[in-house]
Amino acid sequence: MERREVSFRIYRYNPQVDRTPFYDNFRIAVEKGITILRALNHIKEHLEPRLTFRAFCQAGICGSCAVRINGVSRLACTTQVWDLLTGSGDETILIEPLDNLEVIRDLVVDINPIMEKLKRNYSWIRPAIPEEEMGRKEHIVSDEEFETINASSDCILCGSCYSECSMMAVNRDYISPPVLLKTFRMNNDTRDTFACERLREVTTDDGLWDCTHCYKCTEHCTKKIPIMDGIHRLREEAFERGMTQTKGARHAQAFFDDIRDIGRLREVTLPLRTKGVLGSIGMVPLAVRMGLKGRKPPLLVKRIPDIERVRDIYSRLEANRGES
Amino acid sequence: MEHKYDIVIVGAGGGGLFAALEAVRTNPRVSVAVISKVYPTRSHTSAAQGGVNAALGNKDRDDTVELHVFDTVKGSDYLADQDAVDYLCSQAPSVVRELENLGAPFSRFPDGTIAQRPFGGTVKDRCCYCADKTGHTLLHTLFEQCLRRGVTFFNEYFLLSLEHADGDCQGVITLNMATSAIETFVASVVILATGGHAKMYWNRSSNAAGNTGDGQAAALRAGIPLKDMEFIQFHPTGLRKSGLLVTEGARGEGGYLLNRHGERFMARYAPQKMELGPRDLVARSMETEIIEGNGFESDAGSYLELDLRHLGAGAIKKKLPQIRELSMHFEGVDPIEEPIPVRPTAHYSMGGIDAAMARTAIRGVYAIGECACISVHGANRLGGNSLLDILVFGKRAGQEAALEAPERKVHGITPAAVRMVAHEIRSYAGHERYERYGIIREEMGKTMGDNVGIYRIEGRLRKGVDEIQSLRERFRRIRLFDTGTVFNTNLIQILELKNMLDLALCVAVTALERLESRGSHYREDFPRRDDEAWHRHSLCTMGGDGEMSLNHKAVTMGKYSLETRSY
Repeated sequence: MERREVSFRIYRYNPQVDRTPFYDNFRIAVEKGITILRALNHIKEHLEPRLTFRAFCQAGICGSCAVRINGVSRLACTTQVWDLLTGSGDETILIEPLDNLEVIRDLVVDINPIMEKLKRNYSWIRPAIPEEEMGRKEHIVSDEEFETINASSDCILCGSCYSECSMMAVNRDYISPPVLLKTFRMNNDTRDTFACERLREVTTDDGLWDCTHCYKCTEHCTKKIPIMDGIHRLREEAFERGMTQTKGARHAQAFFDDIRDIGRLREVTLPLRTKGVLGSIGMVPLAVRMGLKGRKPPLLVKRIPDIERVRDIYSRLEANRGES
Repeated sequence: MEHKYDIVIVGAGGGGLFAALEAVRTNPRVSVAVISKVYPTRSHTSAAQGGVNAALGNKDRDDTVELHVFDTVKGSDYLADQDAVDYLCSQAPSVVRELENLGAPFSRFPDGTIAQRPFGGTVKDRCCYCADKTGHTLLHTLFEQCLRRGVTFFNEYFLLSLEHADGDCQGVITLNMATSAIETFVASVVILATGGHAKMYWNRSSNAAGNTGDGQAAALRAGIPLKDMEFIQFHPTGLRKSGLLVTEGARGEGGYLLNRHGERFMARYAPQKMELGPRDLVARSMETEIIEGNGFESDAGSYLELDLRHLGAGAIKKKLPQIRELSMHFEGVDPIEEPIPVRPTAHYSMGGIDAAMARTAIRGVYAIGECACISVHGANRLGGNSLLDILVFGKRAGQEAALEAPERKVHGITPAAVRMVAHEIRSYAGHERYERYGIIREEMGKTMGDNVGIYRIEGRLRKGVDEIQSLRERFRRIRLFDTGTVFNTNLIQILELKNMLDLALCVAVTALERLESRGSHYREDFPRRDDEAWHRHSLCTMGGDGEMSLNHKAVTMGKYSLETRSY
């Protein structure tokens, strides 16, 4: 069996004794086929019993052991050490806790914020069937209807997308990708009766419209769920349900209109159209600061020469609505 | 800190969550708390892949509850209590529909009804499923509904002790893992739903690291007998290296088991059902093949192959996506291209807390799911019956608890009981101690696998009993190296090991005592079932000195009388 010496550089922090976090190095011989979790267990059992991390099923289905490995959030139990080796002389693997959540100790983070957000955003089915009739008959659900929600029901709430999300990094109150995914899963379940109220809740501040489309959630999903597709679908649903008067929806509509009309964005009037007159007043200091730094959007924006080609794209998209 | 609730549920897997949900639905005025050592969606219910049995008749129109009862009783090798099995199977269609009604995303037939597939040891195709993530989706559905109902959760609390006064439930003592504070929960009703204990086989187990039988051990110490502990199910298809599970659904969908001669050897052991014989029979046949030299050899031990290639890439991707992922992650094998290397792995504990229709010997204490032995699985559980067990008895316990709790009086938990538990925890950090957790645990897993495994014989079983006894002795000198109070996982490991060692002794002594072969319990020196002497449940109780004493209990019979079991 192939073996190699590998260093594990692990984030350590015990609030009881450490004033600040630090990194510990453990050098161990690793066999081919060993996962990061097996390596962590080895270190805990043979070198440092105080090393603290969560792990449970060891099979990639419970979601306990998500950590950042070489800066990327993934499950320790399904990540092979061998796949991370570079072949260079000094092999070091960096292990850190998930981002955007408070560290309790070492690699253990507080995941209660995720649970609280699930709760606040009605992340459950409200069935049409009255209580007393439960269990009497099944809903008829087509295979297509099942397939629509199939991938989204794979979510194991491991928190990897929460950790990778670039919006979470600047706003801890942001609804977060796993909660939006749950919203998508519930709102596209033909058995649910609460879609409208749920969507209204997720389109409030710090909600659906704050996503910046960085796609990191999808890229790093440990179950390969196309989370971003779900978020896009929810935005379409918001328009379909006429929820067009939120800041986010108006912002999206302004982009849509500008590109269709002149092929580029009218930045100066964007805040006015998104936030309204009163909302925009608060933006003045920001505009001044931007101006001082030389960031001055043009007051008059000309239509681009080939606007017909842009409009052609619009009409083709319009014709193919619903297909993806 | 002292908490007070009408009902405290220990364990947040499918059974615990359904009990909580049902309790608040039945009686909104009772206060309910769920205590769990992991966040609810981490529970091991999530790992159940294959499905849940219910005679819905969506596939085989002529399927009935009676046939489901018959399959279950026969599968149990006639050790199941038939009143409990009747209840289990008769409730199956309604609980499965109820989970569907609450949002569980079941796979569907073209006509839009819940899809059903064949499973081992059954005469009809009645296993309802959601791809190969059935347990995961049921667990999440129940968790979502508990959030909807505002159920109170105490996550990452570890059960230390079950308290009663003269046989009346008083509540539980727990450890808050985030702070290491001892917190008591005074409750007139406690429902134990802590899952199985097959992790005592450690590396030769499909179980999660935390399936350490905490509720069983607490019940044992509180004086409740454990029943039929010798019956441990070995699942035929564990992955060669890790013991992780490949669902029976893979054979249900048509997978072949092959030896190194490329032979479908099950033809020699179960000519009718082939790969879909019951789990005990298939696991034993595989072990025989390996012993007789028909297995493949590798650094990670001998193995056989599970071949899915003939199912085609489409079917594998659609119906067994997780299996494909697991094989690729843990064995580096894509089942579309190559057969999966497998061997039997300890998987399920049929035995557990003695409970009659979920009620235990302590008034106000219920036990449900894998931690309990309500005796619906007898000597061998059928695939697809464990998710059913947690749903049916979770619901029932929740309902009964909600009605019973307001009628009961509690005095509370005595300071002496709390002091005793606290003293024990402090003592682990003693400087004179030197035994290491990892070493004792490793030896426990090894002796259980070697001496109390699939094939059992007096000599090895005696060795197993002796070795577990001596490990328990060594445990008294185990050293807690982490003396911090914030999220001390070293302490949790030690507490779990203590539980596993007590339960391992129960398994070994009852296996030594039962002089027959029945279901998963196979004695090389007593290869036949002996109904005359052994058609009875075994009971195991622990004295104050830690010694086990054994007793027996009659099996409740019903419609089906004893018959030879062949497939």
